[in-house]
Amino acid sequence: MTPKHPFCRAIEPDLVATATGEAGTAAARRVEDHAQSCAPCRDELGRYRAIDAVARGLRHDTPPAADEAASRVALQARLADLRSRVLTYGIVPSPMGNILVARSEQGVSLVEYLGEATTLAASRLRELADVETVESSAEIARLRDELLDFLAGRRRELGWRLDLRLAGSDFSRAVLQTAARIPYGAVTSYSAIARRLGRPEAVRAVAQALRRNPLPIVVPCHRVVGSSGMLTGYAGDKLGLKRQLLDVEGVPTRPAARDFRVRRETMYVRAGEDRAYCLPTCGDLPSHSLADLTLIASRESVEALGLEPCSDCRPDLHPIAS
Amino acid sequence: MGLGLFDDVVAAHHPEIYRYLRRLTSRANEADDLAQETFLRAYRAWQGLGPDANVRAWLFAIATNLARNHFRAEARRRRAYVAAGERRAEADPAGPEEEHVFRETRALVDRVVAELPLKQRLAFTLRKIHDLDYEAIGESLECSPESARAHVFQALKKIRVCLNGHELPALEPMR
Repeated sequence: MTPKHPFCRAIEPDLVATATGEAGTAAARRVEDHAQSCAPCRDELGRYRAIDAVARGLRHDTPPAADEAASRVALQARLADLRSRVLTYGIVPSPMGNILVARSEQGVSLVEYLGEATTLAASRLRELADVETVESSAEIARLRDELLDFLAGRRRELGWRLDLRLAGSDFSRAVLQTAARIPYGAVTSYSAIARRLGRPEAVRAVAQALRRNPLPIVVPCHRVVGSSGMLTGYAGDKLGLKRQLLDVEGVPTRPAARDFRVRRETMYVRAGEDRAYCLPTCGDLPSHSLADLTLIASRESVEALGLEPCSDCRPDLHPIAS
Repeated sequence: MGLGLFDDVVAAHHPEIYRYLRRLTSRANEADDLAQETFLRAYRAWQGLGPDANVRAWLFAIATNLARNHFRAEARRRRAYVAAGERRAEADPAGPEEEHVFRETRALVDRVVAELPLKQRLAFTLRKIHDLDYEAIGESLECSPESARAHVFQALKKIRVCLNGHELPALEPMR
């Protein structure tokens, strides 16, 4: 009922609040005091209390537990599907332009140079079917910090768990896995990777797989060069970035015929899978192409590989001046 | 927020969110769809959620938002309301006098609630059935806590008016 008296009308909100246990102490006391002397309001208070109790009683009206359980099972199936498709990404401004980093629950799945672009519109993520993207700088924060440390030369390893789902084929995956094992500060050739995969004729296919590497920097395809020591190409047309990355790792290069060439005369050499390392001048090494050689920029990198000094050229006694 | 923890979120909150949506729609398949959509949306946004976020209130806000979109199809809404009234009326068994009055009143309240304007109905349900505070209800309804409180107040007044002349149960009924 709408109370007739102006005072009763004014106190009505407080009366309802009091009946439902939501009034402050002062308001409740005011209502109780008034209800003492006003029979209609006393009655209203009682009715609102009853209504509140009945309303709260509605919570005991629950659907069958089996329905909820069935709904949850269906949800879990859809969630599992979604989780397998979601890639969380962030865009990291870096000295090499904006870099998009995306990860799934399995691991980091995409590192992509965006150049000046700052949105997903410039990314290949847009074109992927069966992928749902979620932007989250917070989720990418650790990856961003480590990536920036790496690009600044403060970190030699990224050690990220990888998800190679965006590798185009099993062969590409194998190429990426092989390239991932090239150590920091070292370079090898496309031919050497083809040989390591037991497919010495597949040099072009190796180059193609690395050109489409979904995880540049992390899978260090920048450490793979032509047999002649020319850098030859990187992520399409980003040769300058390849040289920058090699620079960060201390791999010396010099300009050569619209490209750059690794200065192998100032790098240690490992032949094939030898456990020893040599000076670049050892034996007939200078006449070898890089097809079966790995060049290593520093003693630090050599030692990190656990290699022994060659007993002929003794690189330990005659270190290369850096 | 770790992704793995989302399983815990589902385990902790699905029953209540499902119950909420089931009450709103009163149809199992609609509640199913809305509950699933709520958690799929939540999963997508989960990683952006701050560590201090009130996950329960956040889930209610998503569910409420989805329910409101759902109800915008006016025809479906009417159908659901009618069904709600019928179903609950049938479910009321006779019992001892005291309990009978309580149940009868409850069925009546339920019907009145089902016919409230949507915002009042949502605010009332979130407050009285799920005990959310007005801050959280405001988030769900995209309004201030004061407006949320006003919606509940209006709902109570309407129920009060509809129960005019109806015998109300004594407090502390037997159940």
